[in-house]
Amino acid sequence: MSTQKNINSQPENPINNHNELNMHSTHTDTTSAHTEAKHNAKEGNVITEMLNDHLLDHHGYNFYDVFHINLPVIIYDDALYTYPSIHSMEEAGIFKEVHHDIIRNDTGQAPKIDLSITALVMFQWIAMIIIFTSFFIIKKRYVRHPNKAPKGFQNFIELGIEMVRDRIVKVNIADDKLAEKLTPYFVFLWLFIFVLNFLGLVPGGHSATGNLAVTAGLSITAYFVINGSAILTKGIGHWIKEFTGGAPIGLWLIMIPIEILSMFTKPFALTVRLFANMTAGHVVILSLVGLIFIFKSFAVAPISVGFSLFINLLEVLVAMIQAYVFTMLTAVFVGLALGHGEEHETVH
Amino acid sequence: MDSTALAFLAAGLGAGLSVIGAGLGIGKLAASALEAAGRQPEAAGKLQTMMIIAAALIEGVTLFAEVISFMLAMK
Repeated sequence: MSTQKNINSQPENPINNHNELNMHSTHTDTTSAHTEAKHNAKEGNVITEMLNDHLLDHHGYNFYDVFHINLPVIIYDDALYTYPSIHSMEEAGIFKEVHHDIIRNDTGQAPKIDLSITALVMFQWIAMIIIFTSFFIIKKRYVRHPNKAPKGFQNFIELGIEMVRDRIVKVNIADDKLAEKLTPYFVFLWLFIFVLNFLGLVPGGHSATGNLAVTAGLSITAYFVINGSAILTKGIGHWIKEFTGGAPIGLWLIMIPIEILSMFTKPFALTVRLFANMTAGHVVILSLVGLIFIFKSFAVAPISVGFSLFINLLEVLVAMIQAYVFTMLTAVFVGLALGHGEEHETVH
Repeated sequence: MDSTALAFLAAGLGAGLSVIGAGLGIGKLAASALEAAGRQPEAAGKLQTMMIIAAALIEGVTLFAEVISFMLAMK
């Protein structure tokens, strides 16, 4: 370990063969860097460091210092730079990592576009793999026995799909044809957020929904679904007319800015709601664990462990409710964007 | 008190105050939803859905406040 570290710390290390060299030594290198950082930091900083470690995105996945997965770094600045890991990027000497941010060595600025495969991207791919494999498994059953009642796992998935279709989509979207068309989107949205939330509760997992970029991505798709479905079913004229909110012409000066603003605040609220809900649980759990280190006593441990267990169980509930709420609100917004039409009147 | 201490104080107070609002809002919402469900038990399923939507909207506003407090505390 020490020899490898020595090699790594030499700045005049030849650039040609840094990749293979670094692939072997990354694990030991990170752990030693970790412990050094912990020794140097003061008491308060240890907890802040731990919070950052859990809440921020990383260019690599570390499972309790047991094993480490290097994830590729893809940066576009003046040209495309790709590195197999964050350490080989630092070895190459063009970019360096400071406090979880990549900056350029010569200018000291962040690169224009960072398309790295980070830990949270990995977790999203894991969630997609889980969802797709479970769907392929049940698809096989449907092909083999098309006319038999579903059983076991198939039944479980079918229950979820029917729940989304009948209790989220069809209830809120008055147009039945559109509801049928949008059901796959809502099913996947629900399952994706659900699985991502639960991956955050598994030991060693990160919840990708606790990151603003991920939730913003989900809401931007929701924004296009909301407005796109309104335009496609009712026509662009109707969509523009909705900006007046059905108010008399004198009020248009007030109504139009409000309606345009509300078009953007809806996805923004979705973004922050999911992000804050998932982050809040992690912060509370970590703060409760951090109390032990602040008081430096065993006596606090039972209380904070008990409370973190309670919060963790609450998190299971929150994970389910938030997946439901995000999907439900998207469906409600689609229904609203279709307009206060005649169907609405007859329903009541 | 220097400005950092004031920022921490503001963060703590802000978090507490926004929780008061959310607690009142969701408490009132749940009370009336339960009352309505008690009067008309067959509508309980529909009421639950509407209650969750309203709760999420209240919670959303609260979370904006909480995120601001959190940013104050982390800076």
